[in-house]
Amino acid sequence: MSAPLPEVVLGGVPVAPPAGGARRAGASTWRAYRRQPLGMAALVLLGLLVLVAVAGPWVVPAPASYGTDVLVAPGAGYLFGTDALGRDVLAEVVHGTRQSVLVAAAASAIAIVVGTLVAVVGAYVPWLDAVVSVVVDLTLSLPVLPLMILVAALAGPSTTTLVLVVAAFSWPEVTRLVRSQALTVVGLAYVDAARLMTRDHAWIIGRHVVPAVTPVIVVSVVVTASRAVLSAAGLAFLGLGDPTSWSWGRILYEAQSAGAMVSAWWLTLFPSLAILALVLSATLVSIAYNDARNPRTAGPA
Amino acid sequence: MSIAAFAARRLGRGVLTVWFAVTVTFLLLRLLPGDPALAVSSPTQTEATRALLLTQYGLDKPLVEQYLLYLAQLLQGNLGTSFTQSVPVLDVLLVRLPWTVLLTFSALVLTVLVGVPLGVLAASRRGGFLDKAVQVFGVTGQSLFVPSIGVLLLFVAGLELRWAPIGGAYSEGTYGGQWYLSVLHHLVLPCLSLTLVQLGSYVLTLRATLVDALADDYVVLARANGLSERRILWKHALRNALLPATTLIGLQLGFLVGGAVLTETVFAYPGVGRGIYEAVTQLDFPVLQGAFLMLALTVVLANTVTDLVYGWLDPRVKAS
Repeated sequence: MSAPLPEVVLGGVPVAPPAGGARRAGASTWRAYRRQPLGMAALVLLGLLVLVAVAGPWVVPAPASYGTDVLVAPGAGYLFGTDALGRDVLAEVVHGTRQSVLVAAAASAIAIVVGTLVAVVGAYVPWLDAVVSVVVDLTLSLPVLPLMILVAALAGPSTTTLVLVVAAFSWPEVTRLVRSQALTVVGLAYVDAARLMTRDHAWIIGRHVVPAVTPVIVVSVVVTASRAVLSAAGLAFLGLGDPTSWSWGRILYEAQSAGAMVSAWWLTLFPSLAILALVLSATLVSIAYNDARNPRTAGPA
Repeated sequence: MSIAAFAARRLGRGVLTVWFAVTVTFLLLRLLPGDPALAVSSPTQTEATRALLLTQYGLDKPLVEQYLLYLAQLLQGNLGTSFTQSVPVLDVLLVRLPWTVLLTFSALVLTVLVGVPLGVLAASRRGGFLDKAVQVFGVTGQSLFVPSIGVLLLFVAGLELRWAPIGGAYSEGTYGGQWYLSVLHHLVLPCLSLTLVQLGSYVLTLRATLVDALADDYVVLARANGLSERRILWKHALRNALLPATTLIGLQLGFLVGGAVLTETVFAYPGVGRGIYEAVTQLDFPVLQGAFLMLALTVVLANTVTDLVYGWLDPRVKAS
């Protein structure tokens, strides 16, 4: 499980002007982003992983249920070697990419929608905000992984369980990040002006508050998704993954149960590299995006 | 705010957090589909035991009454019975808890011991090569998957170099001083892997707060007074930057315990985490439930104690 990204890394996101110049601002952010070699490399790597997730399973056939060559080291015949039942590790990793990316995307999508909604509505309605901030603080201070394990075990392992469990315990982090920004925005003069114009609070939130916190949402999408990858892999590693489809965590779990985790190094190495590549590229993209948006680091636009 | 009022507030907060954990657990057990009796007993129970359990836990009563009964049982330390070992869950977990506390605490200490110099080094050479290196290290550290780093250490230091044992927490048949030494020796690799995954964010936070502190007025004044740069960095800036960084550690303690669960699984370390792994394979729900509650209680206790000590050391905490 990774630790929460400290706020300081995400800090310094300037409050965006409301909707008006959004497209121009987007273009200049992209110009500043392209100037960062590390950020671009991370974006390409992330793109590649998504490509493998989408197209990989069509190119590489699904791993068979067993094979004759057991625990073969990586070489000409099997690029990534074979596992304790003689299955091709390359095929497992490729098919696992689809599952891992899918779970991360679905879980973080749910967490983002719920977390943002709670944060923004909370910032807008003061008495609700008091409740929200206490619930978020309390949840974040608990050991979340053991709680996820309990729920996943009770509900029975499946992809749906995994997505819902990870989402259910990821939204407080999103709320924490978005809330502080939303509180600033709600206090600004143009939101007061909007309150004079209309009593339609949903309209004010949708038209003025949400666009202003969008940069923080973009960053927390990435942070939440990479956290979701680690949580889902952690659950699968403990045997709570979907037993019917391959995931990176399941490869590690099966290696561990077969007692081959350390001796057959390739069983650990390739899924570990895949997890690291996905999480690291996502983190670097979010840092580069932050720098590109920050006028102090982005340079003249 | 007086010390007493401050302490009362922090203690109240701790109690609130524990109540929250218990209530969330209760609601999850009742709202999730499935037989609630499973949460306190074996899937292979007979109809008679099931009925007995339902009465004992009051599962045939209305929800509010059930909740009060649940609280009453927990207050008496009754976490149910582990059906794989047929002993109270509390006894199973109390044997394991010290190992988890030892592992987590030693990883925390190591994180601070290594993290403080790294953070100071990076902040004092801002923008330089060392700073960049520390930042890359920090971001990579945040992206590590605990079992991956654990297996890497096992493979290199345990199997190839044979520097450290590859599993367990102590050597059988050792006594006295020998036993303590073997405990330390077994602790090295698990502690190192847990430290590695948590060091990154600590260093990054410390660096960022130090960089801010170094731009503050009191640092300018200290420079104008002719204090040496080293003294300013270690005595003045660091003392002020340590508080936010340490607060972050408190916030992350829950995540660190999650990391400990995975680490113990990899190293067959006999803590609560390894117990969770074994309970998952046997679907021993009472142990899973008890493990979460016990870890939550431990985290809350540790956080409350840290808060109190900090409030005593740092006058700014009480003021805010």
